[in-house]
Amino acid sequence: MTRKSSHARARFLMHALAIALALLALSPFLWLVLMSFKTNAEIFRFPPRLFFEATWANYAALWTSEFRNSFANSLIVGVVSTVLSLLIGVPAAYALSRWTTRAGGTITLWILASRMAPPIAFTIPYFLVYRHLELLDTLTGLVIIYLTFNLSLVIWMMRPFYDQLPRSLEEAAWIDGATMWQGFCRIILPLSGPGLAATAILCFLFAWNDFFFALILTRTEAMTAPVAVVNFMNYEGWEWGRIAAGGTMIMLPVLVFSFLVRRYLVHGLTGGALKG
Amino acid sequence: MNSPLTQPLPLAGERSQTLGRIARQQHRFFAFCVAPSLAVLAVITLLPSLYLLATSFTQLNLTRPETLWNFSQPFESYHQLWADTRFHNSIWVQIKLSFWTVLLQLLIGLGLALLLNMRTRLLEALRTVFLIPMVLPPIVVAIIWKVIYTPDISPMHGLFRAFGWHVPALITDPHWALTSIIIADTWEWFPFTMLMVLAALQMMPQELLDAAKVDGASPWQLTWFITLPFIQGVLLVAGLFRLIDSIKAFPLIFILTDGGPGNVTEVTNYYSYLQAFNFSYLGFSSAITVVLLAATIVLSWVIVRLVGWGARID
Repeated sequence: MTRKSSHARARFLMHALAIALALLALSPFLWLVLMSFKTNAEIFRFPPRLFFEATWANYAALWTSEFRNSFANSLIVGVVSTVLSLLIGVPAAYALSRWTTRAGGTITLWILASRMAPPIAFTIPYFLVYRHLELLDTLTGLVIIYLTFNLSLVIWMMRPFYDQLPRSLEEAAWIDGATMWQGFCRIILPLSGPGLAATAILCFLFAWNDFFFALILTRTEAMTAPVAVVNFMNYEGWEWGRIAAGGTMIMLPVLVFSFLVRRYLVHGLTGGALKG
Repeated sequence: MNSPLTQPLPLAGERSQTLGRIARQQHRFFAFCVAPSLAVLAVITLLPSLYLLATSFTQLNLTRPETLWNFSQPFESYHQLWADTRFHNSIWVQIKLSFWTVLLQLLIGLGLALLLNMRTRLLEALRTVFLIPMVLPPIVVAIIWKVIYTPDISPMHGLFRAFGWHVPALITDPHWALTSIIIADTWEWFPFTMLMVLAALQMMPQELLDAAKVDGASPWQLTWFITLPFIQGVLLVAGLFRLIDSIKAFPLIFILTDGGPGNVTEVTNYYSYLQAFNFSYLGFSSAITVVLLAATIVLSWVIVRLVGWGARID
């Protein structure tokens, strides 16, 4: 009896501790979201008021500025690079899962290394080449460089996924006389739905979150939202309200999508280094 | 539709013929599937890497066109690198940053995972909440911490003042700047190690724990002698992933300290960025980056060996 009640108390304490830690961990993030609804005077007030008059002015100011274009640029580049990566990468992931070649290890290292390489390693050569190809400050240029990480991500995510699909599925179709291509399109692809959705979302997020490539390779026309927010800091003085509102707008889609794919996050970040 | 079960089995000879046909087709089809990816990857990653290597053998400076493709002194950049104290300092800063962030992330991630590893609805919801810092766009994380480290508007500095403590602005104080980056980076990435450890914990065989409990092991003993040995491999892989990623640290440093004050937060990656895109010394910067890239490839190779990809036979 006493043992049981001490167990219940330990359980209660653990829950309380977990909630307290979660609040502590999230407070910096919540602060920024709150800030985006504050007027400048309210931002500088200390102690802050718990109930302040929320204003949409920061968001309205963003919506009428160049930021809207940057936001659209981010969307376009994210979607296009995701679609391209999936089109090129998914068949490769399938083949690499089924095909046992001696080059497998080398290809894996290559893919992992291009995922892990410091962005500046690609930025310098891309910057130099884009100057000649006139791809600096274009969406096309960004889409191409985003393939460096998204294509590897697709292969990484989808290969372990296909490892788990039994080979007997498409083998049965082949014995029945279906071509390889039919087996892949009619049997494998329809079964890949959840994996494809998760991979697509992660690809989009990685493109959406990129800061470094866009910082170097764009100026005005193709500027993406993360770079645009930083520009509020550099050129227009410290407009904290607008910075906070811009930051909140950038992270909104990220939060929604991440929630949808939370089960695949480990997988996407480590390429199935961990089965689970 | 004929399923293989309802069809009469082919005779042995026919069957091996069919399998031979399939094997040949398979080979062609797989090659056809892999080729586009490898071709694209070669163009977008391999060629640029070679280009980077080539540039590192020049003294390329965009303000001096004659330095383009001038290989008269191929190892000059590397010589300079060898003697450059600012480069040495950047490596030392990188080591400090990597060591502390990886260590703290592993400890905090492990602690939280152990705390959250109970199947109650509240804790499962909290797991998702704890993931937020990791999924935020890095630039938003940097903005969040810029707010916290800017005394005028920071709730943290407000609290310090309310307690009557005099605390300098951390990111402009040489003694605190690197620490403040470490704190922000740890906040951003502890969910990663937490998530990996949680996934590993969930695969732990329950019988193992039950057996130890029956033998009278205390919770501490369970954690120390059973759980930790079980997840040490995951901790190692998570640590390596974070280590590689810490080499890429950029947005936090760019927004919070710009490498300063002085050079105290100037990691190698950031130094390379400054050389290339602030000072236009692309040749020299390429040499720095080649060193970074080599380090990344070695670490990736370690991971591939540890995890045992490539060597797998299905």
